[in-house]
Amino acid sequence: MSALHTGGSPSSHSLAFRVMRLCRPSFQAEDAVLRLDPFDLLAGEDLFSNPLVSPIVIDQAIRRQPSSTSDEGGGDDFSFRSRFQLQNPSDAMALSGFLILPQSFGAIYLGETFCSYISINNSSNFEARDVIIKAEIQTEKQRILLLDTSKSPVESIRSGGRYDFIVEHDVKELGPHTLVCTALYNDGDGERKYLPQFFKFVVANPLSVRTKVRTVKETTFLEACIENHTKSNLFMDQVEFEPAEYWRASILKVDESISDSNAQTNKIFRSPLLIRAGGGIFNYLYQLTQTSQESGQVKVGGSNILGKLQITWRTNLGEPGRLQTQQIIGTPLLPKDIDLQVVDVPSAIILERPFLVCLKLTNQSEKTAGPFEVTVSQGSSSLPKLVVVNGIQKLALQPLEAYSSTEFNLVRGLHFIAFPLLI
Amino acid sequence: MEDRDPSTAVSSPAFSMENLTLDDPLSPSTRFSSPAELAPDLPSLLDLAARGQWRSVIDKVARARTTSLLSKPHEHLIYLAFNALALHKLRRFTDASVEIDSLSPADDRPDDPFHHPRFQYDSYPETYPTLRGSMLPFSVRLLYADLPQRIGNRPESLDRLYSLLSFARSRSGDAWPRRAAFVLGALACNHFIHREFDVTLSLIRELLASNPSDPVLLSRLGYVQLQIGDVEGAKESFALVEGMKLSGTEFENLVGRNRALGFIVAKDYVAAVREYEVCIERDPSDVVAVNNKALCLMYSRDLSDSIKLLEGTLERVPTAALNETLVVNLCSMYELAYVQHGDIKKGLSNWIARVAPDDFDSSCTRT
Repeated sequence: MSALHTGGSPSSHSLAFRVMRLCRPSFQAEDAVLRLDPFDLLAGEDLFSNPLVSPIVIDQAIRRQPSSTSDEGGGDDFSFRSRFQLQNPSDAMALSGFLILPQSFGAIYLGETFCSYISINNSSNFEARDVIIKAEIQTEKQRILLLDTSKSPVESIRSGGRYDFIVEHDVKELGPHTLVCTALYNDGDGERKYLPQFFKFVVANPLSVRTKVRTVKETTFLEACIENHTKSNLFMDQVEFEPAEYWRASILKVDESISDSNAQTNKIFRSPLLIRAGGGIFNYLYQLTQTSQESGQVKVGGSNILGKLQITWRTNLGEPGRLQTQQIIGTPLLPKDIDLQVVDVPSAIILERPFLVCLKLTNQSEKTAGPFEVTVSQGSSSLPKLVVVNGIQKLALQPLEAYSSTEFNLVRGLHFIAFPLLI
Repeated sequence: MEDRDPSTAVSSPAFSMENLTLDDPLSPSTRFSSPAELAPDLPSLLDLAARGQWRSVIDKVARARTTSLLSKPHEHLIYLAFNALALHKLRRFTDASVEIDSLSPADDRPDDPFHHPRFQYDSYPETYPTLRGSMLPFSVRLLYADLPQRIGNRPESLDRLYSLLSFARSRSGDAWPRRAAFVLGALACNHFIHREFDVTLSLIRELLASNPSDPVLLSRLGYVQLQIGDVEGAKESFALVEGMKLSGTEFENLVGRNRALGFIVAKDYVAAVREYEVCIERDPSDVVAVNNKALCLMYSRDLSDSIKLLEGTLERVPTAALNETLVVNLCSMYELAYVQHGDIKKGLSNWIARVAPDDFDSSCTRT
């Protein structure tokens, strides 16, 4: 709606500011205007289930009215019949497409765009001349100029006249804001007058994001929980994770085709994702992998920047709000001191023929480590021995320098196969 | 009368009574073969309703009751339905509830609060020898369900509406699917107003399941989607409507208005205004187009023209334009345009009092 608080003394001025927040309009549901089907008003509910009674009596009753015109547009029908009689079966929804202007200032949230209609009126009997108009937003941290007509002042605002403008400002700070409108003008007496008016509002935080990071082998999982602090169910238009350099991300979603009922109803239209008002949450799950083969770019014990979450929500008529999280940090990867990896195993192994397995032992610590002993674990004694060592059972290796590795071969033979096992 | 073969002549009392009624206007029985039998003085009642003269409807009902104009049970019920509707229209919701309560609905019997022999044609065989079933107008059930929320008890209305939905679905007969759809629509409206959009959407889904090609219903889905902010969803819904390619001014204007909404979302108010102008040219009483065009003018910084448009339309086609939403918008514009807006709003208010129907909610001028 309009002005919240005004400062200055408008009564001694020819001019006055009128301000109205212009968030987008809304659809109005006219639920107080009850519209009925004549069949439900003029006859018993089971009357026409009786075979001898014809529904034509209702049509005849309606047509008898002097103002009754059936298919013409409303122009000739000087009656208010459409305020009590249904025209379309779904008229009970009371949504005719009427848009209504915002009826109150409403809440304003970080990430939204503040838009306002500002009208400067001359309600005096005299002309106001050389009007310099300024509008700016003041917060605790800064002043942002939205409009300034200093370079080309408005020559004249006649008595009873008006000068209008619309300002927009992307809200990027929380807390109290003041829209300051000022006019510098010559009044009817030629006096230079200064009119300041102040309109205050408070910006609140619409969402909070909590993240959890888990690393499983080479994959990092990021769970982002978005909580809605606003007073309405919020439509999440886009929630995207932007990975940092060397990372790649993909979203993990529930496979909706699994649920039959979902598939059915989604054929009519897709359900938009709405997070409930006042504390509702929704979780997003991302799978992140590193694009580089080396794990070297991760500083040992250092921080691990994964990326940022970009959130776009929308409210009535598509009014967007946008927020971005700070850099999300993963758990620091603690590298293992000693790492044993299988480098090469034949893709096909023939029973009872020896095969070669190539392994790589890396010393990832800062100190020389070793000597090492590599053995093949035979598993628990209750299981049949599937792999028979053919060749050295134990291999002794020399100590390894810091950050160096060595490759070695073990010859194995497969005795009998039940299930293939990796050593 | 032709000679009858005695072996085939039907000699039941019902048959002979039917013959009686064809010839004897003073017969006590009713067959509803003409509109006059629906209720006494019905054309007059309907005329008053169509003119929005609901106070006169109440007077007429009161007179009918005191002068014993109403003799048959169904006539009392039709007049009661009109009376309750009139009281609802005049926002006398407590009085409307009292009217419905005079039928002694069983509040503790949600599946059918009006389950009683006195509402059955069968209970009055002399009056309705050939008829069976309920003579209660369905609008009575609707009002019974709607009224509690008007006096501050929304949960009770919701309970009654959902029970009424089950009731309508359990009945067989041609009219009942239509009634079930009505209740679904009323529920969708209720949830929409309370911003319970997920429920609104699932109710619309049910409506669409049995009515997938109703362009008005699909457009309404689009409005709900737009209210939520689901711009893509709304685009798809409007595309489905446009694809139906029906003929006639109503359909063309519906498509035009939907297209204009797309421009409003994109903040292309100039294009939206153009679309609405095409609609208004086709149908000068398309008040939705007029109202929405005025808003587009205002969002284009042209407050003066938006006011002129709404004022002009009220003057030109008052019966079509007298709509609470349009008046609310005009008053919001007055409040923005004039520091001293009291006088101009009072002027509007006075004009409305002279011209508007009895059920027009004049509190919308905020004077």
